[in-house]
Amino acid sequence: MPREIITLQVGQCGNQIGMEFWKQLCLEHGISKDGILEDFATQGGDRKDVFFYQADDQHYIPRALLVDLEPRVINGIQNGEYRNLYNHENIFVSKDGGGAGNNWASGYHQGKGVEEEIMDMIDREADGSDSLEGFVLCHSIAGGTGSGMGSYLLETLNDRYSKKLVQTYSVFPNQTESSDVVVQPYNSLLTLKRLALNADCVVVLDNTALNRIAVERLHLPNPTVAQMNSLVSTVMSASTTTLRYPGYMNNDLVGLLASLIPTPRCHFLMTGYTPLTVERQANVIRKTTVLDVMRRLLQTKNIMVSSNARNKEASQAKYISILNIIQGEVDPTQVHESLQRIRERKLVNFIEWGPASIQVALSKKSPYVQTAHRVSGLMLANHTSIRHLFSKCLSQYSQLRKKQAFLDNYRKFPMFADDLTEFDDSWEIIKSLVDEYKACESPDYIKWGMEDPEQRVSGEGNASGVVDPKMAF
Amino acid sequence: MEEDDQQKATDLVQELVLRLLSQNPQQTLNNPDPNSPAFHKTLSYAIRILSSRLTPSVSPDATAIAESLKRRLATQGKSSDALAFADLYTKFASKTGPGSVNNKWALVYLLKIVSDDRKSGLNGLDSSVLLPNLGIGGDGFLTSGEVKKSNNGVLLVSRDPENLRDIAFREYATLVKEENEVTEEVLVRDVLYACQGIDGKYVKFNSEIDGYAVLDYVKVPRATRIMVRKLSELGWLFRKVKSFISESMDRFPAEEVGTVGQAFCAALQDELSDYYKLLAVLEAQAMNPIPLVSESASSSNYLSLRRLSVWFAEPIVKMRLMAVLVDKCKVLRGGAMAGAIHLHAQHGDPLVHKFMMNLLRCVCSPLFEMVRSWVLEGELEDTFGEFFIVGQPVKVDLLWREGYKLHTAMLPSFISPSLAQRILRTGKSINFLRVCCDDHGWADAASEAAAASGTSTRRGGLGYGETDALEHLVTEAAKRIDKHLLDVLYKRYKFKEHCLAIKRYLLLGQGDFVQYLMDIVGPKLSEPANNISSFELAGFLEAAIRASNAQYDDRDMLDRLRVKMMPHGSGDGGWEVFSLEYEARVPLDTVFTESVLSKYLRVFNFLWKLKRVEHALIGVWKTMKPNCITSNSFVKLQASVKLQLLSALRRCQVLWNEMNHFVTNFQYYIMFEVLEVSWSNFSKEMEAAKDLDDLLAAHEKYLNSIVGKSLLGEHSQIILKSLFVLFELILRFRSHADRLYEEIHKLQIRTKESGRERNKTQESSSWISEGRKAVTQRAGEILQSVSQDMDNIAKDYTSSLDSFLSLLHHQSVDLKFLFFRLDFTEFYSRQHSKG
Repeated sequence: MPREIITLQVGQCGNQIGMEFWKQLCLEHGISKDGILEDFATQGGDRKDVFFYQADDQHYIPRALLVDLEPRVINGIQNGEYRNLYNHENIFVSKDGGGAGNNWASGYHQGKGVEEEIMDMIDREADGSDSLEGFVLCHSIAGGTGSGMGSYLLETLNDRYSKKLVQTYSVFPNQTESSDVVVQPYNSLLTLKRLALNADCVVVLDNTALNRIAVERLHLPNPTVAQMNSLVSTVMSASTTTLRYPGYMNNDLVGLLASLIPTPRCHFLMTGYTPLTVERQANVIRKTTVLDVMRRLLQTKNIMVSSNARNKEASQAKYISILNIIQGEVDPTQVHESLQRIRERKLVNFIEWGPASIQVALSKKSPYVQTAHRVSGLMLANHTSIRHLFSKCLSQYSQLRKKQAFLDNYRKFPMFADDLTEFDDSWEIIKSLVDEYKACESPDYIKWGMEDPEQRVSGEGNASGVVDPKMAF
Repeated sequence: MEEDDQQKATDLVQELVLRLLSQNPQQTLNNPDPNSPAFHKTLSYAIRILSSRLTPSVSPDATAIAESLKRRLATQGKSSDALAFADLYTKFASKTGPGSVNNKWALVYLLKIVSDDRKSGLNGLDSSVLLPNLGIGGDGFLTSGEVKKSNNGVLLVSRDPENLRDIAFREYATLVKEENEVTEEVLVRDVLYACQGIDGKYVKFNSEIDGYAVLDYVKVPRATRIMVRKLSELGWLFRKVKSFISESMDRFPAEEVGTVGQAFCAALQDELSDYYKLLAVLEAQAMNPIPLVSESASSSNYLSLRRLSVWFAEPIVKMRLMAVLVDKCKVLRGGAMAGAIHLHAQHGDPLVHKFMMNLLRCVCSPLFEMVRSWVLEGELEDTFGEFFIVGQPVKVDLLWREGYKLHTAMLPSFISPSLAQRILRTGKSINFLRVCCDDHGWADAASEAAAASGTSTRRGGLGYGETDALEHLVTEAAKRIDKHLLDVLYKRYKFKEHCLAIKRYLLLGQGDFVQYLMDIVGPKLSEPANNISSFELAGFLEAAIRASNAQYDDRDMLDRLRVKMMPHGSGDGGWEVFSLEYEARVPLDTVFTESVLSKYLRVFNFLWKLKRVEHALIGVWKTMKPNCITSNSFVKLQASVKLQLLSALRRCQVLWNEMNHFVTNFQYYIMFEVLEVSWSNFSKEMEAAKDLDDLLAAHEKYLNSIVGKSLLGEHSQIILKSLFVLFELILRFRSHADRLYEEIHKLQIRTKESGRERNKTQESSSWISEGRKAVTQRAGEILQSVSQDMDNIAKDYTSSLDSFLSLLHHQSVDLKFLFFRLDFTEFYSRQHSKG
């Protein structure tokens, strides 16, 4: 009875990174493109049934739903190498195929329209699991389908499967280049609200940082979408290794996430991965030790979220929690030494209102995938500097909103027909999220928000972290 | 011509005597009368001495004597005399041919003696006994004198009539006869008898002096008596040896003399037969009469007591040795006997050494044969309990540890303890293979070893003195057989796989299995222990195996995994009594003995408890997981209640975080610093292990390190107690947290419902409706009580954790690692320093 996890890939981006993710899982478990276990894949030790189930003919089939409002990407999958891998009953493409037009409201609205159909698929998958642990949603927050329809699905899942975990891999837009989606800030804000309220854990994949890593770390002047996605799939597969290779600890998603997310609202995780390589790219092979890997994981240049913080703020940023998943041949004694070094050199700033530490999970490496590196590591971290990313979203939204630009597209849909309170509501929620992250940087977080509202000086959250208790949920 | 010479010599002597007398200070007369009777007496005395058979004890070297004379003169300051002497001596020495002195050395020597005599004889000695002191005269006058030469350097200045000597001897013989009641021949024979342990006519065993002696009433000179006594020591020794042999022979086989004892007796017997041969020869010789000195011996093969003492010189050394050995060995047997004998073999005397070597070779041969068959065949051919390895009948699982022991008393000192250990282990390995592993491949290994060491597998291939060969054999055999044993254990009995299985299941390494087991067994274990049937639990176990990756494990290993209900009282809960055990079958039960398994059991119980606490905490997180809380806004609640709620939640979250930090870091500590590190050390040692003992030691170390570092050791009982207090608090926290969230959930539903109602009735004023008020009021009360409980737990937890951490400080290095993890951000140190 594995702790099954159902993956929902929504929208263009969600399906692309989902596809890469399954490709990577198939490689690691020795499953062929058609879902047949390769002859060499007998060494065992891995648990395939968390993410796959076996059909009557022993085919391994991903527990995945492919959902999109336009057929382009999914058609690509259905005609691609892995076309026989997926269960075709689990593929949903909107019948009109018109997409969401990069409009969150459209995506959300269409999601509502097809709710029944999609929930049937989800229920079917859930019924096929012995002990469903939760859902993983892959999407982007900036477009229309992934953000809008994804948001709708999050709300529905939260309602219908309130006991199950909902984790998302959410791709944040690249903010350095001008996007062709001008309403990105609106879409992002609206999606962020759902991520803040209806998800248990959000793994933030910041395209800005991914692009920077591709350019700076991998020396790819113009990284392709596929290359970027392979970075994402690396992170996704690495973050699930402890589920797929059971060990003494961290064998289920709850166990993995619980320690990372001690306070419910601060559930946005950053990732870092080292050493990074991209398919077919001959990289310089470095000596990799546990210490090297752990030290590099703490360097901002390897983190897949851009900090957006000014220096002073950056120095105050603190880790709420860190989990390093180290893969490869590791001498367990090195872990302690590495932790000691890291503490001696004061390489990490942790929160001061409670105990914290770097957790290290050792995991097996797939025997079927050859890598040039002996040791590789993934960091999942809950870091307060993520608030700057949200602040940026807020400020971009505010700029656009001030101009009242493009709002008509949204007013076409019921949610915004009467008024735009949804925007304001979202803004407030994200603002209070930013404030809570900021409060976490202070040793007095425990008392934060506890002051009697009548005694407050002003209605605005200030440096001591006082915020309207209304917003504290 | 000869007559003439004779006369001349006499004249010369007369002359010399005259000169000496004339210079005698005792003599009143300066010119003694050559014809006076006193002079004649002196002269005849001198001649008698000169013609006696007495020989000087110096080697006949005329030049050396002359040199020494010259030197003496020189040192006395008479250098002119010395020169004159040298001149004279040269002339004297160069004279050869007819008429010159033939026996020059004798002459010079005589003169020297006379001179010395004169100088030292001034102390008033009886001049009637000694030669009157003769003064040194000029030496030169003898140059032309003729001195009769004698044979063999015996100075024979003059020849006595033949019968003179005879008369002397006859006189001596009568003297001897007068002094001795029995003849020497008889005594010799008696001594020979005595040496065979038989009483003779005159020489009998005297129990008073514990030895053979001439009977008291028999008149013999004291010297003879002593001599007989000395010689017959051999008899006494012989008696001792002989009686030992016969006693041993008599005791055998009824009593256990042992093969080594037999061999020793046989070796002694061999020696004795040599001795008998000697005695026979001597007895034959004793038949020959002892000739008188005068008789030119008709046969030289006669035996006198003196000759006997020469003959006996060697046998007595051997016999003494044998007697000493017999004494030492009287109470000893087997290896101890060989060892005792060996102690005497370290002797510088080649005779003794050789003798002892022979003896030991015989004595040790049964012992070495035992070693050989033990090391190559694993057979304990030791009917008499002489071997330094003893076997005892034991149950199969104890065969290795207790089946065979080193019997140190039987360990001969020429086998070092380490070699003995190796010998013991090698044979033990064979027996272990044969009995426990049902393996026959060892025979090949053994013959290979025999071939490699150059020893044939036949009997008697080894002997004493070949300790190197023995060591070589043992080394070769040990190397191969131990390797074979380990191979069998590793390959056929999958030792490492079983260790891993134990690590996976008993030490909870197989996380998915453990988790699932916890999930399905958990609810059942919350019941009282009496309600739980182990049959039911076994079903759960099987389900957990089937549901997890354990299903792919070797069925043989899974079958050994069992549920074990510990003995329990009526009050015990299921959690206290549930445990897993791993059945160790032959031969692995040698490693996984009951005490080892009980240690594993303790570790399992501890880890299981830890997992349970973790499980509880994760359970709390599930109920408070982000989207359960965040997705519900409580906007409709009163501000004060809301604050209360917020504060209760925050407190709960922060406390949860602290507890979770503790439990996860404790688990990380267990995983890295305890289980994995111990395992990696164990794997290394397993690789390096050369024999089962190494392997057992490595495993013992592995397990002890786990037990010690998991606070289960004897020294950590206090800290363990304090840890369990923390666990209890965490479990208590869980129930309170559950209650809190349950209330929150109710509140959520109520507000939702009332919200809907409000929507229906469109009554905006229902904010203050009765139902709502009641709800919020009740919520406020509940929250207050829950908050209080939380506060109490938090307080208890803080103080308990504080005491735990301070205890941790005083513990070993390993637990410092734990402290390091728990206090990674120095949160607790800071808190501590603050107050």
